[in-house]
Amino acid sequence: MKRLLVAAAIAVALPTALQAHHGWSSYDAKKAMTVTGKFRTVSWTNPHGTATIDWQGKRWNVVLAPTGRMEARGLTKAMIAPGKPVKLVGYPRLDGTAEMRIERVTAGGKTVELR
Amino acid sequence: MIDPSAFGEVVQSSPFGVWAGGEAYPIANLVHILGLIMLVGGIGVLDLRLIGLFRKIPTGALAAALTPIAIAGLLLMVPSGATMFASDASALVNSGTFRTKLLLIALALANAVAFRFIWQGRIEQWDIAPPIGGRVMAAASILLWLSIAALGRWIAYS
Repeated sequence: MKRLLVAAAIAVALPTALQAHHGWSSYDAKKAMTVTGKFRTVSWTNPHGTATIDWQGKRWNVVLAPTGRMEARGLTKAMIAPGKPVKLVGYPRLDGTAEMRIERVTAGGKTVELR
Repeated sequence: MIDPSAFGEVVQSSPFGVWAGGEAYPIANLVHILGLIMLVGGIGVLDLRLIGLFRKIPTGALAAALTPIAIAGLLLMVPSGATMFASDASALVNSGTFRTKLLLIALALANAVAFRFIWQGRIEQWDIAPPIGGRVMAAASILLWLSIAALGRWIAYS
C-alpha cells in the first residue's frame, strides 16, 4: 500500500517536473519568429508532422500539425518537401532548445494555419 | 541491455511504426478512448461498490456485469496504445510521463490479479460486511486507473 501511495504521489508530481513534448504551453508565444528557408527533412507523420531547418546558425526541430489537419487545410507533403521554399511563423521552446512550434506555414503560394 | 532510444528508432521506422503514423493514428486514438471509457466505466463503478458505496446493489451481480466490460476495454486499449506508441516511439521511450504510465499500468494489473486471487468466490462478503483489505485494493484500483488515464493525456503536454 505504501508503494501505491508513493506511485500515486509520483503520478501527481511528475508531469509538471518533466520536459515538455507536444503542447503549446512549452513554447514562448511572446517571441513569434518568422523563418524563411527550405526544410532539410520532413517527416509527414502523426501525432504531428516534424521537420528540420537551418536558421541563424542552428539546426532547428520544427513541430507541425497532425497530417490530417494539414491536408484538410490544403497543405500537402509535396508543398513543403525538402528544398521547396517555405515561410514559417512559430514560437521557440521556452527552455532554449532549438525547436519551434509552427503557427502558420506559407508554401506554394498558400498560407495555412496549423493550430 | 537495449538502449531505449535505439529501440524507439527501430520501432518508429519499422513498417508498423510508419503505418501507425499515417491514417491509422486518429483511429487508434479513438479506439483507445473507447477502451478507456469501458475500462474505467466498468471497473471504476465496481471499485466504488467495493469501497462501500451503493450498498443496495448486490456486489456479485455487479461484478459479473461490469468485469467483462472492463476487460474488453483493456483489450481495446492494448493494441491501440501500441499503435500510438509505435508512431512516436523515439520520443516516448524517453518520456518520464510515459514511463510512469507504464509502471502504474503494471501496478494496476498486479492489483487486479491479486484482488481476483484473494477475493474470488468470497465477493458476497461485501453484501454483509465489506472487508477492509478488499476496500483498500478497490480504492487503489480506481486511483491507479484514473492516474493512468491522466498520465496518458499528459504525454501530449509534457
